[in-house]
Amino acid sequence: MKRILRHQRHIFTFCFGAGLALVIIALWPDSSSQPTFKHPVVEAQDGGSSNPTAKQPTGNNAYCAVCHSQEGRTVALADGTSLDLHVTPDAVADSVHGTSNSQETLGCVDCHGESAFPHVEARPESSREFTIKMSQVCTDCHVDEAQANADGVHAHGLANGNLRAAVCVDCHGAHDVQHIKDQPQLAAETCGTCHTSIFDEYKQSIHGEALLVNGDTNAPTCITCHGVHGISTPTTAQFRNRSPELCASCHADKKLMAKYDISTSVFDTYLNEFHGTTVALFEQEDPNAASNKAVCYDCHGVHNITPANNSKSQVAKQNLLATCQQCHPDASSDFPDAWVGHFEPSRTQHPLVYVVDLFYKILIPGVLSGFVFLVATDIFARTKHVGGRKKSAPPPKEGHTESAKPEKEG
Amino acid sequence: MATIGATAKQQYVERFGAAERMEHIVLIISFSMLAVTGLPQRYADVQIAKDFIELLGGIESVRIMHRFFATLLMAGSIYHGGVLTYKVYVRGSSLNMLPTVKDARDLIGWVLHNLGLSKEHPKMGRYNFGEKAEYLALVWGTLVMIVTGFMMWNPIATSKVLPSEVIPAARLAHSSEALLAVLSIIIWHMYNVHVRRFNKAMFTGKMPVHHMEEEHALELVAIQAGTATPVIPDAIMARRNKRFWPYAVFMTILLTSGLIFFVSFEDTAIHTVPRQPVEESITIDPAKGNAEAGATKWQTLPCARCHGETGAGVPPIPAITNTALDFKVFAADIRRGPADMPAYGPGQVSEQDIADLYAFLRSNMQ
Repeated sequence: MKRILRHQRHIFTFCFGAGLALVIIALWPDSSSQPTFKHPVVEAQDGGSSNPTAKQPTGNNAYCAVCHSQEGRTVALADGTSLDLHVTPDAVADSVHGTSNSQETLGCVDCHGESAFPHVEARPESSREFTIKMSQVCTDCHVDEAQANADGVHAHGLANGNLRAAVCVDCHGAHDVQHIKDQPQLAAETCGTCHTSIFDEYKQSIHGEALLVNGDTNAPTCITCHGVHGISTPTTAQFRNRSPELCASCHADKKLMAKYDISTSVFDTYLNEFHGTTVALFEQEDPNAASNKAVCYDCHGVHNITPANNSKSQVAKQNLLATCQQCHPDASSDFPDAWVGHFEPSRTQHPLVYVVDLFYKILIPGVLSGFVFLVATDIFARTKHVGGRKKSAPPPKEGHTESAKPEKEG
Repeated sequence: MATIGATAKQQYVERFGAAERMEHIVLIISFSMLAVTGLPQRYADVQIAKDFIELLGGIESVRIMHRFFATLLMAGSIYHGGVLTYKVYVRGSSLNMLPTVKDARDLIGWVLHNLGLSKEHPKMGRYNFGEKAEYLALVWGTLVMIVTGFMMWNPIATSKVLPSEVIPAARLAHSSEALLAVLSIIIWHMYNVHVRRFNKAMFTGKMPVHHMEEEHALELVAIQAGTATPVIPDAIMARRNKRFWPYAVFMTILLTSGLIFFVSFEDTAIHTVPRQPVEESITIDPAKGNAEAGATKWQTLPCARCHGETGAGVPPIPAITNTALDFKVFAADIRRGPADMPAYGPGQVSEQDIADLYAFLRSNMQ
């Protein structure tokens, strides 16, 4: 019994020790926030390669997460702003670059570089500077997009010193990058975060309403017309001259327009009309030739485009004069009728134009076939009755140039 | 003028005087150039037409050339009207360009003769049916072109007098008539005076007698008989001249003024007029602007983003500090967005905001 009791003491000591060890182990991570905590050494796996086909994230994300998963962790920057250091690990995991989302898994160090704690890199001047710098990293893998973007308005803005110009992460997010392909609503909303007034106009337009309210993904979103990365300046002459083709890419598409019962002859009727003919010629001559000849959006509006039967539309009957007066300041109230619209003239639509068309469709072949007949009889006579004709009109051969070629038949 | 002369080699009839030949040359130049500069516009969707327009220096220069030769054609038409009046009224010429029943008979006779159904070749006067058809087609065509051309050249003036639908109708008529005219010239005129026989009378003024026998047999008879030109006593001629010239001067001034009005009245159809911004309906009085509120708004609204904290601007963004812009222009710029600047609607920037910002920028507070 005594022996048993002695054994009990040993068991007690063991249990106490084990319990203490467990408590210490359990409490251990808590102390990681202590500045005195020493980081374990990073086990670098493949040297920070940005190979997007790697199945596993490069480096040890958990290692970074030890600090960066803590909310409220910020660092003060020189310009007085602070940089938020918190990253939600799930956001990274669920993103296109994350482990649970795709095969293209990136680790923290792929973008941020390898850097054990304490970080030795110079602190950025401002959080914006950091964002812009980090967006450069995206271009390492996304080469095509980066090249397109370099020609775009946002990159130009940035190069001209406008730090507010959008960089990759402004639109795509940083850690929570998601697929936005085939999500036109999201595209519009993304652009709308900066281009607020245009987004407001767009929301009210026929296109914006169709997309954002009715969820019709055929409706154009911002990038349908402006492009995605290589967004060109829409105020250039070139953009203007080519804009009718842009509108026509949908509005002359019979299959697409059939769904909405919209005429597809709008483009052809425009090209056959004075403004359209001129714009097409300008474009042919020099895509950068500046002209004020009306293009689609001059009359229909740009982002605020509404159907002609909407009283707010620039092409609504009551607003048409003001629209024409943009370029024809002296236009009188009857002037807008000079525009035949996008209708093919018919008995009911612009009957005068229809009648003129019909008149010449009869007159031209009528007159010309008459002339052709008369010419044909003369040729006939000259080939068949050459001798007889010569008798009635003998061409003297005395060398007068007039009669050199009396019968040069066609 | 119609007299028989003779060179050493043959007899000829003096058919056209120097003035008439000159008129014809002016017509050739204006007509051809109008066709050359006009038809590519009708077929502007065809690549070769586009290339040709480019070759001529672009659509704007093609349009200016077209208008220049149109003016030449119209000036020629005014002159022709004067000469015609003089010949008919003063010189007593008959209106021998008008079609008659005999022309119809000549036409039928000529066709029957060509087909070998009739031995007789019709005997025709100074102007035969073919020439009359061409002349009248030219008169008709020129009138149509002048009237429809005026409508396109001056659409606003036209729309004040006539229903505006005539303008697209005029455009269609103008280009259709042009096609008719050019094809008629190629088929009928070219064949008759160049292919069938090169009739040089319009350039040399002279037509050999044997050609006269075929084409103008009756006139030749009249010339030989001395009855081709009516003989008018000097006294009557003088009286007619006295009446004609004041009238001619008056009509010349009137029609030339009309021509000048025609070519200079309206600008928009020729030049690229800068687009006029539609006046923004900003009704707020700029005096209601509060510079201090404006200073805050300058930072909170997107303004400072591009124009900088003080409005000094960063090239290419213009400085806006102490703006000299008129308030209306300033407001319109915010609403419409000049150059690369985005437009801001009332949802973003209210009228009060505009007034405050304006006050701020003019306050030297920066």
